[in-house]
Amino acid sequence: MSDVAAVQLRGVSKRFDDVTAVDDVTVDIRDGEFFSLLGPSGCGKTTTLRMIAGLEYPTAGGIGIFGEQMGLRPPNKRPVNTVFQSYALFPHMTVHDNVAFGLQMRRLDRDEVRRRVAGALELVQLTGREQRRPSQLSGGQKQRVALARALVNEPKVLLLDEPLGALDLKLRQAMQLELKDLQARVGITFVYVTHDQEEALTMSDRIGVMDAGRLLQVGTPEEIYERPTSPMVADFIGDTNLLRATVKGDGQIALDDAQIVHAETAQPAGSEIVLTLRPERLHVTGADADVDPAHNALDGTVARRVYLGNAVSYDVRAGEVTLRVRERNAPSRRRFAVGDAVQVHWAPDAAVVVVR
Amino acid sequence: MAQTLVPDPETQPDGHALEDRAALVRSRTGLWIAVPPAVYLVLLFALPLLIVFIYSFATRGPTGQTILANWNLAAYTRMFNPLVREIAVRSFGYALLTTVICLAVSYPFAYYLATRALRVRNVLLVLVMIPFWSNFLVRTYAWRLLLSSSGPLSQLTELVGIGQTRLLFTPAAVVIGLVYGYMPFMILPLYAAIERIDLGLVEAARDLYASGTRAFWRIVWPLSRPGVIAGSILVFIPSLGAYVTPEILGGSKTTMLGSYIVRQFLSARDWPFGSALSFVVMAVMLAATMLYFRTGGRTL
Repeated sequence: MSDVAAVQLRGVSKRFDDVTAVDDVTVDIRDGEFFSLLGPSGCGKTTTLRMIAGLEYPTAGGIGIFGEQMGLRPPNKRPVNTVFQSYALFPHMTVHDNVAFGLQMRRLDRDEVRRRVAGALELVQLTGREQRRPSQLSGGQKQRVALARALVNEPKVLLLDEPLGALDLKLRQAMQLELKDLQARVGITFVYVTHDQEEALTMSDRIGVMDAGRLLQVGTPEEIYERPTSPMVADFIGDTNLLRATVKGDGQIALDDAQIVHAETAQPAGSEIVLTLRPERLHVTGADADVDPAHNALDGTVARRVYLGNAVSYDVRAGEVTLRVRERNAPSRRRFAVGDAVQVHWAPDAAVVVVR
Repeated sequence: MAQTLVPDPETQPDGHALEDRAALVRSRTGLWIAVPPAVYLVLLFALPLLIVFIYSFATRGPTGQTILANWNLAAYTRMFNPLVREIAVRSFGYALLTTVICLAVSYPFAYYLATRALRVRNVLLVLVMIPFWSNFLVRTYAWRLLLSSSGPLSQLTELVGIGQTRLLFTPAAVVIGLVYGYMPFMILPLYAAIERIDLGLVEAARDLYASGTRAFWRIVWPLSRPGVIAGSILVFIPSLGAYVTPEILGGSKTTMLGSYIVRQFLSARDWPFGSALSFVVMAVMLAATMLYFRTGGRTL
């Protein structure tokens, strides 16, 4: 591993006519890291990936790969390979020829090509399928061929554009772990585009959350989940309660409906903020129960209950706000029904204050 | 090899789709839809063809009448004379040249067409088809004006100092006319084939170190081959049997098979020989087409 960033984006923007697809993105992706670009569809994550691949050129800013500026270098002259969303396997070629394509284009000798193709197919467990055509493969197998076709070139950076998007849930989950495993084995930097936050949390060393062309936050899955820096990030990653509020000073925060709660914040009094509360950090107790005095507590009524098997989800109406609470399912826990008067409480450090 | 014994469920054809297909095959409603065109084809195509076939074994009478007796192969053996061979070779040459030129010119255009926005495509497609709205004969006569030594083309070359061009009644004029006439039959199947190609495949090839040129020859060209084959057949066959174009734009030294056959029926009044020629040309075209399909047009 080197100290030089595997991929360095500096003020990268991409405009299509009057639409800004990517807006001033700056980030260093480290050597050997599994980095995910996460965001809703149309947020610019795929365009960012395509600019790294050289399939699009930025309208502003620069992209460096291991210290080399890419500029207007065409895709065939960049040390990266891509696994495309729909795989883009060549339908008129066998599995072997698909995987061999990149090596042949670089004019490696025959024996070397054969050896490396065999190695790549073994890596993705497709040995014995060399002579099949893409149309004779299942979705999961196509996905593996696409992976082998890229990895066989031993790129410095592998770009993956929602590679698991077309697979069903079970297969996707299996492939997530397999991909993560594979990345650890080959030691190549992965830049992974996905709109699936769970996928990003499962696989990534670091995540960059994008929305409307902007990179909102970069951090480890824990940082992104537990310390979001904007309401959008908090909302996009996992379930969350977003409460509009104003800082009162002395650790006091007034919700928009004037209920007062306590939370740590560096924001000065008068700041308009959003309080983000993860449902699993909230608890429900009976209206008459004793609550730890250090906790915040709001009185409310159960408006909805959803049984999730391993948990029970309550929507509690408290004043003008509705809080979603997820209680782990345990026999000792008291269950509440719709209409029950309850208290929702949480430890002061459970809330994260985000500037609006 | 447990892997080969257990079929991969994801690669198996959908059972329901197969059942639906079988039901369709069993159903007889399709038959009634097929009957009218079948009758039409048999009466108006197969029957005349049969008559031509029978006539080819007949004998020409002294005054040009056809004697339907004493069946013989004379008309077929006469085909091996040098004049017929010369005309046949010339026709093949012109048709081949026409096909190659059509392909070379149409391919870039079809590619351009297939990669435009839908609205632009429709406009361009209509433009390709506009010539069909006027009579072929009239359009060919227009070429006669264009190519004549006092025509605009000649005036242009004279203006730039290369002197007059004398194209009319030359082989070049015939090929120009054929290329012009059959170009749409090349463009349309090429467009249809290229339009179906996922341009993401080109990006994938570029990502895998292929230059633009190599990506074209390794990806776009092989995937567009059904269109190339269809277009070539659609241009080559009518070019081979062309009649109007060589008659109007060609001279005495550019006679093609079509004109020669017509001459047997009209001026020479040798119907058996004309019939035999027609039949052989048709058989050769059919054989060539089948060979073409065999060698690679399966996905057409």
